Amino acid sequence: MDELFAPTVPDEAMALALDRVRRGAETGDVSELDGLALDQVILNMGPQHPATHGVLRLVVTLDGEVVRDVIPVVGYLHRCKEKLAEKRTYYQYIPIVDRTEYMAGMNCEWTYVLAVEELAGIEVPRRAEFIRVIMAELNRIASHHVAVGTFTADLSPLGTAMAFYTFRDREKILDLLEEAAGARMMFNYFRFGGVRFDLPPGWEQRCRELMAEVPKWTDEYRALVEDNAVFLSRTIDKGVISQQDVVDYAITGPNARASGVPHDLRRTRPYSVYPELDFELCLADHGDVFDRYKVRVDEMLQSARIVQQCLDMMPRGPVQEGSLRAPYVITPPPGSAYIAQENPRGEYGIYIVSDGSRYPYRLKYRDPCFINLQLLPKLMRGNKIADAVAIGGSIDLVLGGIDR
Amino acid sequence: MDLFLDILRGLAAVILAYSFVFISALVNIVFERRTLAFMQDRLGPNRTGPQGILQSVADSFKMLGKEDFAPAAVDKRLFTLAPIMVMIGAVAVQLVIPYTKGWTSQDLNVGIIYIVAVTSFTVLAILIGGWASHNKYSLVGALRSAAQMVSYEVPMILALLVVAMAAGSLSLNDVVSFQSGYQWFVFYMPLTFFIFWIASIAELNRGPFDLPESESELVAGYGTEYSGMRFGMFFLNEYAGLTIMSMVTVTLFFGGWEGPGQDLLVVYGVSVIPFVWFMLKTYALVFALVWVRLSVPRLQVDQLMAFAWKFLIPLALVNILASAAIILWAPQWKWVMAGFSWVLFLAVVVLFDPLQRRMLRRRRAKSPMLTRG
Repeated sequence: MDELFAPTVPDEAMALALDRVRRGAETGDVSELDGLALDQVILNMGPQHPATHGVLRLVVTLDGEVVRDVIPVVGYLHRCKEKLAEKRTYYQYIPIVDRTEYMAGMNCEWTYVLAVEELAGIEVPRRAEFIRVIMAELNRIASHHVAVGTFTADLSPLGTAMAFYTFRDREKILDLLEEAAGARMMFNYFRFGGVRFDLPPGWEQRCRELMAEVPKWTDEYRALVEDNAVFLSRTIDKGVISQQDVVDYAITGPNARASGVPHDLRRTRPYSVYPELDFELCLADHGDVFDRYKVRVDEMLQSARIVQQCLDMMPRGPVQEGSLRAPYVITPPPGSAYIAQENPRGEYGIYIVSDGSRYPYRLKYRDPCFINLQLLPKLMRGNKIADAVAIGGSIDLVLGGIDR
Repeated sequence: MDLFLDILRGLAAVILAYSFVFISALVNIVFERRTLAFMQDRLGPNRTGPQGILQSVADSFKMLGKEDFAPAAVDKRLFTLAPIMVMIGAVAVQLVIPYTKGWTSQDLNVGIIYIVAVTSFTVLAILIGGWASHNKYSLVGALRSAAQMVSYEVPMILALLVVAMAAGSLSLNDVVSFQSGYQWFVFYMPLTFFIFWIASIAELNRGPFDLPESESELVAGYGTEYSGMRFGMFFLNEYAGLTIMSMVTVTLFFGGWEGPGQDLLVVYGVSVIPFVWFMLKTYALVFALVWVRLSVPRLQVDQLMAFAWKFLIPLALVNILASAAIILWAPQWKWVMAGFSWVLFLAVVVLFDPLQRRMLRRRRAKSPMLTRG
């Protein structure tokens, strides 16, 4: 190790990285580091770094341009979400769930509301079920917009253009969500036994028109990047997640489906009205960076299909069970419930324990990003640093969910 | 007295050259930001002055007002030297460029070699700055920059040699006068132009070859530790480089200042209209550079090197050998050259991308498909 490049203030993660390098150099045991050379540079990426999409910190051991080791450090966005639940009534906690995985607030809220409904045994009117599916799928499209846009932006200024196109289209969806819920990202829209408001007049028609546009959007994205030889060579066969990895690391969501694992909770453990809806699982064969991008774009189309079907099938009627509108306190009987739903990033679960009081006794998240993050070091090792950035982007991490 | 006048004249020339660099950089920054904004479906800076044209003036005042700060760990002397040095290339190149009919500061008889020599100063400054910063991002960026420049200067020089052979001179004025009568080199050696242009984009550290400062990996590459006007010098040089390199390209391949109405307006023996033509051609090329930057994703380091050594340099070698043979032996060599160059150029342009994609598709078909679980 050159003294010049030894970390000046070794903190825990830096010290660990340094330790691994030294251990590899002394013992010759390089199994952990995939062939260790002596001239290694430990590079601290983040928490302030343009490629980490938030405050993820990666302590990267570089051998020239090649990444030899990655130590992810999380916790910079920790806001005590789980502890907060214990001092909030069930109603008061709904807006906080929005802020865990903030790119898909509707999906998160739904999971929480569903868990409480399971605890308290609350029925949901049929119209509200359809509205919930519509909102969740709209939010899934918006979330994939961000995922695809920021991932391509990691590759180049061309991707920056792509990011602007995706964000432009995402705005249209956010406008719809704002009309219905009153907010663009932190919705606070779901209620126990239904949703807060019925859809405003004319909303269904506007939504229908927007969903008809979705194929045009995806065609545009594809034309922009998929015919580009440089884009292909940067993404194909990079960062392959094998199916064994998917099982070993419990990878879920588009990342698993890109490896050809047909795991989608909407299909494998259906909830709400999903069994009545006709949609395809978007699978791919190679599990590389390109496939993960492609699966996300495909899923936008499927989500649009689901929304259109819901708009057709939605009956009239109440959107929340009347008796639950007031008072704003519910006290579920003692017990526990675990509900997992298909979030845009994978299986988003909430485990909730009630002791019969006004507050949850304990609440625990199973966040897909946190689980997917654990595969990151394995995927990045042995790749060029530019690839590592692309791989990180393709895994699509949201730090609000990871740190909670 | 004569010596005094000479010094005065030299000073005036240096000040002119520096102001040209600064002004063209300021213009280019706004030009690029607005063009990118237009292509990315957004507005871009449009508040400072009409249509935002004063944005970069405001930005440079902001940078001048910042603290002249150097981190504790840097090598102070080199850290200060690098931003001063970085401008040398852009300023010195202007010595030999024929701006218009009757206005070349110094018509060197080794002009083309001189250009190659002085533009290399930029990489030296980048390397010094990256090393002196004592920052790993800077160092990686600087080393990438050095590797890239060394690789791409080879095809660039090979392309320039073809121009020199055809014109029979290394002087830029001779090159321009050889192209007079609208016999621009780009018309009958497009392949040479193509090689030179790609190499010049790499020399400029611009997308898709902007690896030294790829912001998604290395934050700002060699400039990570620089702030205030020191950073401003790097930034201005990069954008002035757009104009300077385009001026060189125009001189070598697009007939320099040539255009209709050459002698309409002559002030003190300097024609004004050709200067307008010169700048118009230059900015057409600057626009093309901005366009390319937006349209092609950034290459990876190994891909960048492979492109230079496995594709561009062999192509340049074939080009220089064939061109030399044609110039030496073929009667009516311009026509033969045009035939050869256009055929190869079109073949490269038309076939490169589909072949590349086909290769990738094949590799994908061959790569192990994951079995369905």
